[in-house]
Amino acid sequence: MGVDEDGYIFAACTFFAKNHPGEMCGSNGLPLTPSSVTILGQAQRLLHLEHPNLCTYLDVIRCKHERIIVVSEVIGKSLNDFKSKFSFDQIMNIGLQVANGLNFLHKQDIMHRTLSDDNILIDNYGYVKLFNYGMHYMTKGGNEIPFPLGLPRYLSPEIILGGGGPSADVWSFGIILLELCIGKLWQNLRPGPILRRILTLVHAGNTAERIAREHDHYDAYKQVPETLRNIIEKCLKIYPSGRATFSELVHDLSALDSKQMVEVKRPQGLLGCKLQVLYHLWQLAGGDIQSELKKNCLIKNSPPILSMPIAILLDGSTIGGKTGALFDRRIAMYSLKLLKQRLSHISPHDFYPLMHERKKEYDAVTLPKIIRERDTEYQFYRLLWFNRLLHGYPHTASYIRAEAEIDIPPLVRGDVWAALLGISGDIEDQYERIDKETPTPTDRQIDVDIPRCHQYCWLLSGERGHRMLKRLLKAWLLTNPQYVYWQGLDSLTAPFLYLNFCNEARAFACMQAFVPKFLHKFFLKDNSSVIKEYLAKFWQMTAFHEPELATHLHEIHFVPELFAIPWFLTMFSHVFPLHKIVHLWDALLVEGPSLPLFMGVGILRQLRDTLLSSGFNECILLFSDLPEIDIGECVKESIIMCRSSPRSISYRRFTKETISKDPMDLIEVPMDVLFSEICPRISLSDFFSLMCQEKCCVIDIRSNLLFDKSCIDGSINVPYSGVHLAQRELRALGLRPQRAIADAVRLNKNVVIASAEHETAQLFSDYLVKCCVPRVCILHGGIQALHANVPSLFTVPPPRNNGNK
Amino acid sequence: MATNRSGTAQRPNGAPQTKVCQFKLVLLGESAVGKSSLVLRFVKGQFHEYQESTIGAAFLTQTVCLDDTTVKFEIWDTAGQERYHSLAPMYYRGAQAAIVVYDITNQDTFGRAKNWVKELQRQASPSIVIALAGNKSDLAAKRMVEFEEAQAYADENGLLFMETSAKTAMNVNDIFLAIANKLPKSESAGGAAAGGRRLADGDAPRSSSCCK
Repeated sequence: MGVDEDGYIFAACTFFAKNHPGEMCGSNGLPLTPSSVTILGQAQRLLHLEHPNLCTYLDVIRCKHERIIVVSEVIGKSLNDFKSKFSFDQIMNIGLQVANGLNFLHKQDIMHRTLSDDNILIDNYGYVKLFNYGMHYMTKGGNEIPFPLGLPRYLSPEIILGGGGPSADVWSFGIILLELCIGKLWQNLRPGPILRRILTLVHAGNTAERIAREHDHYDAYKQVPETLRNIIEKCLKIYPSGRATFSELVHDLSALDSKQMVEVKRPQGLLGCKLQVLYHLWQLAGGDIQSELKKNCLIKNSPPILSMPIAILLDGSTIGGKTGALFDRRIAMYSLKLLKQRLSHISPHDFYPLMHERKKEYDAVTLPKIIRERDTEYQFYRLLWFNRLLHGYPHTASYIRAEAEIDIPPLVRGDVWAALLGISGDIEDQYERIDKETPTPTDRQIDVDIPRCHQYCWLLSGERGHRMLKRLLKAWLLTNPQYVYWQGLDSLTAPFLYLNFCNEARAFACMQAFVPKFLHKFFLKDNSSVIKEYLAKFWQMTAFHEPELATHLHEIHFVPELFAIPWFLTMFSHVFPLHKIVHLWDALLVEGPSLPLFMGVGILRQLRDTLLSSGFNECILLFSDLPEIDIGECVKESIIMCRSSPRSISYRRFTKETISKDPMDLIEVPMDVLFSEICPRISLSDFFSLMCQEKCCVIDIRSNLLFDKSCIDGSINVPYSGVHLAQRELRALGLRPQRAIADAVRLNKNVVIASAEHETAQLFSDYLVKCCVPRVCILHGGIQALHANVPSLFTVPPPRNNGNK
Repeated sequence: MATNRSGTAQRPNGAPQTKVCQFKLVLLGESAVGKSSLVLRFVKGQFHEYQESTIGAAFLTQTVCLDDTTVKFEIWDTAGQERYHSLAPMYYRGAQAAIVVYDITNQDTFGRAKNWVKELQRQASPSIVIALAGNKSDLAAKRMVEFEEAQAYADENGLLFMETSAKTAMNVNDIFLAIANKLPKSESAGGAAAGGRRLADGDAPRSSSCCK
């Protein structure tokens, strides 16, 4: 609001977190969480506070040596920088806006504690915003920093005595108002004497008058309108309980405030975007917070030798060694110049994309996702568009899905995921109602797992992250009494927490929607049949798309039970780091529940050459310490595989989807039969559509007698009785079948085995897999079922004399 | 120093190492007692404070050289959570050695270790060499299981016993060496070249439905 075109729009300040001495360990034997990590976790909540009288926090960065950098919106200049005096009307207006901001903070249970004239900002239009009001909150009341909070002259007596609650802010507010009326207090005094002066006020009857007298400003004070004096005096009560609250102050001040706020027109174009978006794009355009801080000497680089301690005691504490300023009140300012230059050629029209307009095609779409995510211009368009769509959610759900298929801008990933999972309604209220605190027997397991779950991520490794993860898990378990805690559930929850760090309820809602969709029944107490079915299906998909690899792995008895359980139980969240999981799940959420099976195949495909040349031990070693996997490639391949596979071949019994009773779709087989089959089955309806699209090669393995009576139009007869299964060469089948199969492989067609009895179909399909034929599947129900349901596909083959159809 | 991490069994002086034995070893114990950390320390000499939990099982190998033999361990590191118990037999079946791990700062994990020992004595191969490892000995200040108590239990049941620390590496190599020493290194034992493979045999969902 009210930002002039080339003005600064955000600012950074920096300070140091407390250093834990030496190698201290917590009660669980793990190292203590660094203070900076705790601060980082705490500060996340501040990033999501929005109020017209608060400068929005944009980022909190953790740097080397426990340094924290806080980035925030900035406007105009601070009260401290104003040299001219304000009129009483202006003072009341400023007071009202400050009180509004503080009232909001107190309602969020956040105490300012550091209110001073240099963190109240005013712009040219008279708008007031509080700056960096979260120091007390993010440092957990100053516990995580090695320096005291707040400027001495704004501290209330009880704070100086080491206590104090939110009403201390009211005192500071009173001092601010008083200073606006009679000028700066206790100037030229050192902190010690100031604190002493404040404490002597304890005996004063009227604190404000006493202060005014002390400064020889009693007359000036008496000229302040009585209404305003009353307000000041209500704030400067010695006993915190006697002071007014901010909601009362807001009420009083709005009654006095005569000045109507001029509604400043929302800026157009780039500056009309949300600050978070601008900050994100600015960074993509090359904006660097640290370099500006260095330029302004807020970060000083000194040779490491100078910061070496003079002595280190046995307990790890250090003596001496030069450290920089622990906290610097100065701030570094940033403008959007860089970003504006970068986006200068974009026409104003593009800032307001229309929902139904044919979208522009961007060149970047062909680049890998990781590169697209760093492209300023591309992200600019995508963010505008996604924000537009998200604004219309849930009515725009189908648009969001279509866009998410292309890619998801990292900045809005949390929102998009929630939309893809269909989250809506009052999730806060629902989450609020769940008991997340009562101890349960599962707690011990959760407690030992959480400190090992994605701990390289600072958010998740902090105290706040641990606490939230535990609450989420407990809430989920309580809401789903049919399920139990399996190790791995922690990893599964982590991505949702990571993306919704300030929206625990939404993290929970996502988790709650995700599990039934992708992991139905996986967390049952007895989940063995669910997992076995999943793994069997995975193995069939491997045979379907990677027959050579499947054959090799079968031969060395390398079964998925030995390595793939964590893959699927946690949807890969236990095997990959978060930055890879998000890309994997982006695709998962769009494509649906069969994709993970193909992702498994995609991973095997990437390791194909190594696996093919390895024995059992080497293979299992490879998976115990999974090598670098190119996730972008893996996702791409798996989507291709998934989309090109007939739907029914990845059918699983244990899904949430209702099972069709139509004989055309029916595909269920007893579990033991499923476990014995290397090739998947295809349903009649899938088969029918493949036939219509000419996407399959049908091999009829009945005897030629039966075949000659009636056969599927276009099928090839390879009587099973004449096949030598031991001969692993297609040539052995005869010239015509060999050619037909080779053509099918070349054209990426499915090879469907049709038979009269199932056993032979199974054996023959296994044989084809061993001959490295991909896309082999078995017609469910065989010739009989097809004949009964789709007789139109059958014909009488012409008399065979020359081996034609 | 000539004890481990030598990879292949070639002595510096070139004296031919004739006997190579392969053994399947399984780690069992309550979760978060440090099974994976022990293996990681033994195999790679590393230690991660935040070692992630093991789901299902992990597999690693390491070779140690004794005076006249090279012993190759095929190590199955299992998931500790009770729920994964049903998978355990798949891993300890056919194992020649087992390390049952507990956490010296947690009495419950010791109880669980005793259960594992009982189960192994009942279900695993009768000749299995079992070692009991009281891990996290670097946290002796928070000790809840007395050394003597565990030692007495180990003696009673004929187990090897050491207190170990994956963090400081104390006794980690030693316990594996002690097992290597105790394992019978006859020709037949050495012939178990397919220790890992044998594991899979029984559990392969489909054994041989083809090639008849």
